Amino acid sequence: MLDRVRRPWSDHSAERLLGAVACLLAVGIILMIVFIVRGAWPTFSHEGLSWLGSGGSPDSQLGAMAYTSSKPPPSAFVVHAWPLIYGTILTAGFAVLFALAISLAASIFIVDFAPPLVRRTMKPIIRLLAAVPGVLYGLVGILVLVPLINKYLVTESEQQSVANVIQLTGGGLGITIVLVTLMITPIMTALITDALESVPRAWREGAIALGLNPLRATLAVSLRAIRPAIIAATGLAAARAIGEAIVVSMVSGGNSFAPNPADGKIFFFEPVETLGSEIVRVAEDLGAPAVHSTLYAFAALLLFSSFALSLSAYLVKLPLRRYQVSS
Amino acid sequence: MRRPRGIFVPLLAVAALAGAAPAAADATTTLHLDGSTAAFPLLELLTAKYEAVEHHHVKFIVGQGGSSVGITDVANGTVNIGDAAAPPTSSNPAGLYFYPIARYFVDVVTNPANPISNLTTAQVQAIFERKVTNWSQVTGSSLSTTIDVESRTSVAGVLTTFASDFLLGKTSLVWPGATQWSSEALLQKSVEGDPNSIGFLSDYNAITKKLNDVAFNGVAGTVANVENGTYPAVADFYEVTKGPARGYSASFIGWIQSSKAAKKIIETGWLPLTSTKAVSG
Repeated sequence: MLDRVRRPWSDHSAERLLGAVACLLAVGIILMIVFIVRGAWPTFSHEGLSWLGSGGSPDSQLGAMAYTSSKPPPSAFVVHAWPLIYGTILTAGFAVLFALAISLAASIFIVDFAPPLVRRTMKPIIRLLAAVPGVLYGLVGILVLVPLINKYLVTESEQQSVANVIQLTGGGLGITIVLVTLMITPIMTALITDALESVPRAWREGAIALGLNPLRATLAVSLRAIRPAIIAATGLAAARAIGEAIVVSMVSGGNSFAPNPADGKIFFFEPVETLGSEIVRVAEDLGAPAVHSTLYAFAALLLFSSFALSLSAYLVKLPLRRYQVSS
Repeated sequence: MRRPRGIFVPLLAVAALAGAAPAAADATTTLHLDGSTAAFPLLELLTAKYEAVEHHHVKFIVGQGGSSVGITDVANGTVNIGDAAAPPTSSNPAGLYFYPIARYFVDVVTNPANPISNLTTAQVQAIFERKVTNWSQVTGSSLSTTIDVESRTSVAGVLTTFASDFLLGKTSLVWPGATQWSSEALLQKSVEGDPNSIGFLSDYNAITKKLNDVAFNGVAGTVANVENGTYPAVADFYEVTKGPARGYSASFIGWIQSSKAAKKIIETGWLPLTSTKAVSG
């Protein structure tokens, strides 16, 4: 037996081992879905889909749930999660838009315009940034940025104008978007840079030879060729943005308010919570079965949103395959 | 030998890899604890000392998460002992035993830029229920800015204790627009960074140079005032076990409740208990 283990594995065994690991992964994902849906079931069975709607503050509703008994009646499961869903869409949506613009500009510069020395320095730096644990951004946010915003950007009259509804403490939608953007931009830039580099040089050089200036050539030829890669990178970044929880819970203002765009500049200082950050904040109440089930329902919604994101990224990519060089 | 081995061998390899780690552990016993963020600093000190006292035959892994997390985890059997900062409530799972280990008190805190020395019951209620919105409406403050109310998420043990003495026992009276932090440390950092803020913390986190501790109805939150019974907002930390404590958990809890070494540690930032009777929840 030992003798057999010591011999190098044939390709056949390697194939089986890899197959087994892949199967384990699939089984793990299925188990996770079953686990989450089972945990969320009481909320779905008592509330249907009405818990996705609006009405009142999720913080207060979850707070009331925490004091229901260990065998809660159906009435204990009432929650209206719309402010959290809206908060998730707002933060992730803005962050992905900003990150897309920044990473496109950065990758075009790095691949087609930067001098070789700059290119060689920038690429490892971006990969390093992509690996920074998100919670570091949260710490810098709560210890440095939030107090600065509170001191220099939020005025006393703005605070007073909304004092009966919410408080503007520096933490809120704006800083959350900035930090989530910071967290997803490096990975998007790294993916798009790789894709741009894989475009055959002759394509772009041919376009320049036909009379396009270098920037037009990049936009018209290279960017068109890597559209599937851009969509894949955006999908990945969006999935990370909607699920980001710890950082958001640290800098988002600590209140499940739904920011109102009609408030103008204050909009970006208003507190907000996402589905993920609410799970982090309210995890302390998990002892109450009603809270338990509600948080699992949030988790199920996040899970299905990320499935939907990757599925729609795949569907959008399909018709673009014709000119693709990589994805 | 070319006998097809199917999927069994690769699976065995994976299982062997997974099994290797636990097999390496030796004869020491490991106790898992988690729960109250307020009790965490105390438990860190106590467990470190106990490991030394027991010549490292017992090891501890101490997590946080909040009182309710500790209660849920101990009821599920995920941890050996849960840490709680408030007594049992009706929503707790049945069959848990709460062993009081130390007494703490809750202080109202403000930023040092707003050095209020005293607040009355009525003033604390007005601020936390948002009946006043500006520091100029609070006697004793020289600021004229909007008040930032910093609170905790709904069932934090420290919030329950704060409400029981400052807010007529109703945590629901706290203004829903207040910032609600999930841990003591986050609330502490937030008040340190915001001159207009007011919050509440357990004494260990409240008594620092970076925060101004406010006296309540003329009585300062000090160990002496808690001992002579004049300061309200006092509560106990509990070690929670599923059923009566047994084995290593029982000896650890017994050591906290009776040994001189543990009492010495408790006295560095908290108050030792006079009665240590367990409450079953």
